[in-house]
Amino acid sequence: MSEFVKINIISIALLCSVTMQARQKADDRFYDFDKDTVELGQVVVTGTRTPKTLAATPVPTRIVTSKDIERVDATDIQDLLKQELPGAEFSYAMNQQTHLNISGFGGQSILFLVDGERLAGETMDDVDFNRLTMAGVERIEIVKGAASALYGSNAGGGVINIITHESSKPWSLHVDSRWGSHHSHRYNGMFSVNKKHWSNSLTATYSQIDNYHVSNADNPITRVYHEVYGNKVISVKDQFVVRPTEQLKLKGKLGYYFRQVPRVPSEPERYRDFSAGLKAEWEMSRNDHVELSYAFDQYDKSTFLKAQSLDIRSYSNVQNSVRALYNHSFSNGDILTLGGDVMRDYLLNTKLMGTERTQQSVDVFTQFDWNINSKWEMVTALRYDYFSDGHLSRIIPKLSLRYQPKCNLSVRLGYGMGFRAPTLKEKYYEFDMAGIWIVEGNEQLKPELSHNFNASVEYTKGRYNLMVMGYYNSVKDKISTGIPYYRSKENKQLYLPYGNMDSYAVYGVDVSVCGRWDIITAKLGYAYVKEQLPKSGDVSSVNNQYIPARPHSLNWEVGLDKSFSNDYSLSVTLSGRMLSAVENKEYRDYYDVSQGTISIHYPAYSLWKLMAVQRLWNKAKLSLTIDNLFNYKPDYYYFNAPTTDGLNMMVGLGIDLD
Amino acid sequence: MALASCNGVFDGVYDELPTPAEGDIYIDASSWTKWHYLDLHALQEAVANGQKTEVVIQTFDIPMEEIADYDADSTGIYTYWYDVFGEGLSKRELRSKYPTIRQPEPSQWDLAFHRNNVRTNGGAVWQTPFTYISQLGDHSTFVTQSFVGDTWNETDVWTVQDRMLQGLVGNQRIKINSELGKWLRLDIPPMPPAFTYNGNVFVVRFSDGTYAALRLKNYISPSNVKCHMTIEYKYPL
Repeated sequence: MSEFVKINIISIALLCSVTMQARQKADDRFYDFDKDTVELGQVVVTGTRTPKTLAATPVPTRIVTSKDIERVDATDIQDLLKQELPGAEFSYAMNQQTHLNISGFGGQSILFLVDGERLAGETMDDVDFNRLTMAGVERIEIVKGAASALYGSNAGGGVINIITHESSKPWSLHVDSRWGSHHSHRYNGMFSVNKKHWSNSLTATYSQIDNYHVSNADNPITRVYHEVYGNKVISVKDQFVVRPTEQLKLKGKLGYYFRQVPRVPSEPERYRDFSAGLKAEWEMSRNDHVELSYAFDQYDKSTFLKAQSLDIRSYSNVQNSVRALYNHSFSNGDILTLGGDVMRDYLLNTKLMGTERTQQSVDVFTQFDWNINSKWEMVTALRYDYFSDGHLSRIIPKLSLRYQPKCNLSVRLGYGMGFRAPTLKEKYYEFDMAGIWIVEGNEQLKPELSHNFNASVEYTKGRYNLMVMGYYNSVKDKISTGIPYYRSKENKQLYLPYGNMDSYAVYGVDVSVCGRWDIITAKLGYAYVKEQLPKSGDVSSVNNQYIPARPHSLNWEVGLDKSFSNDYSLSVTLSGRMLSAVENKEYRDYYDVSQGTISIHYPAYSLWKLMAVQRLWNKAKLSLTIDNLFNYKPDYYYFNAPTTDGLNMMVGLGIDLD
Repeated sequence: MALASCNGVFDGVYDELPTPAEGDIYIDASSWTKWHYLDLHALQEAVANGQKTEVVIQTFDIPMEEIADYDADSTGIYTYWYDVFGEGLSKRELRSKYPTIRQPEPSQWDLAFHRNNVRTNGGAVWQTPFTYISQLGDHSTFVTQSFVGDTWNETDVWTVQDRMLQGLVGNQRIKINSELGKWLRLDIPPMPPAFTYNGNVFVVRFSDGTYAALRLKNYISPSNVKCHMTIEYKYPL
């Protein structure tokens, strides 16, 4: 089989963190970025695994607050990222499985965490985004760029860490609901109790949307979909915290998730997840902090045969992991971090050779955060990983540098090595894909290695904030499905093998501009990305099973916040996103690949959204949203077309009691 | 030894598919005047219970006697003239018709066979591109396909052949499954008729939502009788 060389570039889009923090302060009539430093004090943990303020972290981190989530009225992480992160695109793969592309990196290279814990389960390389509901989320930290030195495999393109809310009020109750087209409705409920030595937060979400048809013009040039499959989602999470002493905090978590997709009404697909965790945080001394945690996560897929009332499971991924983390703060502000994880990964998949596979992985890592002087800070990290299946191991480094010559100017430079071990699926898959070909695992796969470089400048002046970032990423031995082949001249069965590509590259620029004038806030985010897909000698391009990233994307938002009295306030937000066209080489006929490839043009599009929220007595919230304001409908519903079938009006109601 | 939770905790939530019955079924479907009925559900139950898995085929005659009542759902005998010595079966004319009683059938059945014609008991069929049943994946690989149900037909179930030399054939008007019928096509010209065999796997969805895989392995008996069917099957999928 031919090899491919792939070079990858990754990006870190720092979008207006300062402004978004500022939006929480709705009463600041004369906000000035220069003078207000409170929002720069927002603590983030993902970039360095130690609490650091947003302004001080050397690792560019984008933060999405609970207010941002509320403002865009996001149901799940997919809703949120589409509106908040330029360069993030969700498209379809196979039979409408959702695939995420952030600046050229897909699901296997973007690591999703919930409170620092990995998620079990994947479909077409992506986690189940519906599982990541936004109810009860405190904030989301997005670190783009290689983070493998701290988070290991799958973090070569970045980390998205969802931090859940911990109760601080004696008690609080929040309920909200939203209704929209296609019989979509969503209900959220959160109840928290907080006592001196313990607290508990219970969060529940129910959402549903029906299947709906979309119309395509004649003669599409590639695959289109005619129906958008709806779903029904139930998610319940509970978090219990005990503080027996000032120095010790024990945290327990339980979660249950259920999703049903009526792709075939008589045989709906079901997805379930059960998660549990225990974590102890111990302040040994003023300078020493220890964390010990255990996490369990099980993600299952099944098909419910309604006529026979049989629920038949075809997939289960169970992860048991134990982690230890130690931080020591030196008197001059330097921090030493030591940590390690042990994980057992169990996979049951009827499409897997042998059906069941198990793998153990072990890692240790260290990081030193060196405050060189008042202007310079450097963070270095080193990590060792071991995977039992195939006895793979690797040491990976990371280096981040922050230079702050003035209080309103920060320059950040970073290098990180990305690392991804082949998954059990990539090694042992054996799946007949609807008669097109048999997707074939490859036990001899090498780990994927990437080198990520990034540089950013953040400048704040008066009411304005500007961020520019450039990045370059090269990937060696990128793991992907390769070129379909026949095993022999006589055997007309096509095979599509996994393999290591020669080279892959992605590079780009992210720019964000934010401004705030009295009660008005505006922000603009732009992302440019260029993917260099691997080439090989005997075909013009490999079979890239996903559509490449669109080169240009633009997000914008103009918001108005006005309090008319203590009992009534109004906010109106006009937002939108534009994604440019993209070309992709695909097979002319997937059932006859001998016909070769053609270049497919996927057109550009833009979507606008208008949202008005009225707040009454600080207890109730009434929202009206017009999504797809200009009633855009694609001519063809290609796999990366938006799933909209026109203007969608949504009405929401929320009540807070405490 | 791993703790039970290491491999998951949801086991009790799920069900197991019944143990499938699989093998070959032999049916002498060469008669012009009979339908042969197969009950795959009973066959599978016998396999699951460890009983002897002898395939039972029940045979019922096609009713020929004319009755007075006639409605849209009536079976009947429809006599067509075919241009068998000229343009072939595609050129035909209805010459006469009369209603009969409904086709007798067992209380439980899944598939019925008459020469190269097949009926399902409220089921539907999808022709796969596969030539081996083992190539079928799990349900997700076929449930979204377009399954074809049985439709009324008055030209293909050749029943009365006494005036065939004149090109006149009496057909039973009855619902048949044209999709599954693709496994053995009859063509005129040439004369004598030519059979074209299709070795693809067919998936049948029964009215209770269960699925079976069928593949026609052979249609000629050792004594060279046509429509003596050897069918490979697996049920349920």
